[in-house]
Amino acid sequence: MAGVRPDSQKPPFVLTESGTHGLRIAAANKPAIALGVTPGLSFSDARARAPHLLSEPIDRKADVEALHQLGLWLIRIAPLVALDGEDGLMLETTGCAHLYGGEEGLLAELSRLLTRDGIPHQAAIAGTQAAAATLAHSRARTVLPVRGEVEGLKDLSITALRLSNEAETLLRRFGLTQIGQLYEIDRKALTRRFPSKSQAEAVMLRLDQALGRRPEPIRPLQPVAAREVRLACPEPIASSEAVQYGLQTLAEQLCAELAEHGLGARGFVLRAFRADSTQDTVRIEAARPVRNVKHVLRLFAERIDRLDPGFGIDLLLLEAHRTGPMSVSAIALSGDLAASDSDPVVLAALADRIQAKLGSDCVTMDVPQDRHLPELATKREAFTGDLPPAPEPVKGPRPLRLFETPEHVAVLAEVPDGPPQRFVWRRIARHIVKADGPERISPEWWQYQAPPPRAPSPDAVERRWLSPKLDRRADAQQIAKIRAELEAEDVGIPISNLPRARDYYRVEDTEGRRYWLYRDGLYEDGRGGSPNWYIHGLFS
Amino acid sequence: MIRDDFTALGVFRMRPSDRPRQAPSFPLGLGESGVYEIVEDRFGDLPAAAGFALAASQHASGAVIHVQQDRSASNHGRLLPHGLPKLCSKPVPLITVSARRQRDALWSVEEAILSRAASLVIGEIEDLDFTASRRLTLAAQRCGVPVILLLPYTREGATAATARWRIASTPSARNRFDPYAPGATRWRAVLERCRLADIATPFTFDLELDHETLSLSVVSELAADPAATHPATGQHKANGWRQTG
Repeated sequence: MAGVRPDSQKPPFVLTESGTHGLRIAAANKPAIALGVTPGLSFSDARARAPHLLSEPIDRKADVEALHQLGLWLIRIAPLVALDGEDGLMLETTGCAHLYGGEEGLLAELSRLLTRDGIPHQAAIAGTQAAAATLAHSRARTVLPVRGEVEGLKDLSITALRLSNEAETLLRRFGLTQIGQLYEIDRKALTRRFPSKSQAEAVMLRLDQALGRRPEPIRPLQPVAAREVRLACPEPIASSEAVQYGLQTLAEQLCAELAEHGLGARGFVLRAFRADSTQDTVRIEAARPVRNVKHVLRLFAERIDRLDPGFGIDLLLLEAHRTGPMSVSAIALSGDLAASDSDPVVLAALADRIQAKLGSDCVTMDVPQDRHLPELATKREAFTGDLPPAPEPVKGPRPLRLFETPEHVAVLAEVPDGPPQRFVWRRIARHIVKADGPERISPEWWQYQAPPPRAPSPDAVERRWLSPKLDRRADAQQIAKIRAELEAEDVGIPISNLPRARDYYRVEDTEGRRYWLYRDGLYEDGRGGSPNWYIHGLFS
Repeated sequence: MIRDDFTALGVFRMRPSDRPRQAPSFPLGLGESGVYEIVEDRFGDLPAAAGFALAASQHASGAVIHVQQDRSASNHGRLLPHGLPKLCSKPVPLITVSARRQRDALWSVEEAILSRAASLVIGEIEDLDFTASRRLTLAAQRCGVPVILLLPYTREGATAATARWRIASTPSARNRFDPYAPGATRWRAVLERCRLADIATPFTFDLELDHETLSLSVVSELAADPAATHPATGQHKANGWRQTG
């Protein structure tokens, strides 16, 4: 490769990491290893062996991020890609190999792509994940046939299994250095020789997973698409017109495929694989399954500008996620026969368009709930195309407009339970002429089995001890507080933590504006001090 | 001046060929077709304006799309579905679109009109210029979707909308069962501009909404009751006042 020097001419270089015993070598390049600088060595020893050693601190977070990005780029080879430890990637190649002329061809293509971009790598293919990882670490470029794990792994070193350091040392002390030696060993006898049962179990689990005797779950980086279509570009493209054209071609192809199976998709992902082993993704969501090319393209139109072509895109991939059957309803012949005057498909398409531009969850509907408190009686849910049902009629008056959080007001009212006479809201005093109420709305006691978490103390730091200075008042307060805490623990849930009943009043001021006020609690109900007043809604 | 020029061009006439020309009755086609601006009289009258719009609107049944700017929601709250049956006889299945910026809100209103999916589009926005109002009017005429714009008290100046109402809340009617309680809702509606009716604008209506029959009726100034007595002078004897809250 042009621009890449052969390893032998490079200066020795290491990455360091600070541990409990000072700086240690975390990774070293080939010239450094040739000088005897191996990972795990302390940095001062390494300096003694190679005085001209170049070093830099390791950035593990960036490493993981780079590996993640590489993993996303490898979706072009196989749809299911997962991280394998800190330095490995796992690809599920079932059903992909024939596209590259067999598994050897797939391995060669993978190596070609990674070598082109100067990414050093070791790759292997096997029937199980653990076997593939073992081979990749010890004998790269191997393709094990299906069910060939027992034979293929027999003469490999146990270090390739990537066990814990202690387990490795222990096995080496028993004289077990090759994986093949573990096959025939008496497991009970081996378990007894480990310091704990779980350590032995970890070794056996890894071995069984490698041989395919126990399953190993795989956690993909990205959810696997239900359907995908791809468009390889003969030359890397960078212009937005070219991307637009490619997207249109792909969308037509994918929607035709969906129509063939009578499906629609609720999520579409466009992946653009750049020539420099990076990728960019644009995703759109639909409220209900769709397969209309025009609609899909229109949703993408708001976001396609954010796609960064970088040095050029050489492969476009369009995925359909969360597919489901489409409800294609016949158009009602007359308006009287139609169940609803609004077409849910058109409404959902409108919601998709608005959400593609303004951001998700900005199109909502209030779905009635069977709850007492006015703010909980409806729940904001994302709009899916079906209209919200009409709310159950309520006995008491309900305002036209409700504040999401009730606002505190200063009120002059008759005690204990008279309507307010005057209140100050948003710094303006309002004199009440007419009032109606109260309507008591009780708290939902069944919601409050456990006391809510205690609010943090106002001075941020909870005082635990008596004051070092002689301050009798503070001491008395502290003692009273501790006593109250102890008493509260005795009776179970302290009553003061339970929510208070609300008394709602409908009031009208001198200007004819109508408000919905409530008093949060009653006087001397034992749940805190005198109750506060809040404004919760406005009548028309 | 501008208005007269455009009227002469016939751009803003409400499809004169389709409809038989008749004297438009109250509320002058509100919510039937075209764009209507409903403005609050002073800050805090927006709930009254929204109530008037929903009570007087003559839209077909079906979905109602309510585009609301976030600032309006924090100032005046959000529409509560439980409060709607006290204003309109038909069910109002509300779909709410929350937009932060005015431009996004206007775009959503136009998009909702063009989709022809809703029976009514309510836009609760801070302000709009003449071009925007003209654009919305043209879209509403083309698609036959009625639009109601709820606007703050600062709204002034030229508009291409069919009409502009300015709504103030006024003391409610006497409650027959409890003189100390608020009675039927009353509004003062001023028709500031109107392209449909040949009556002289501004024209003031004093309106009353019967909560039982949900009918709007015009009440005269004389028929209105005097302000009800203060509740404290009646059965509530002041035996101890306390400042709370």
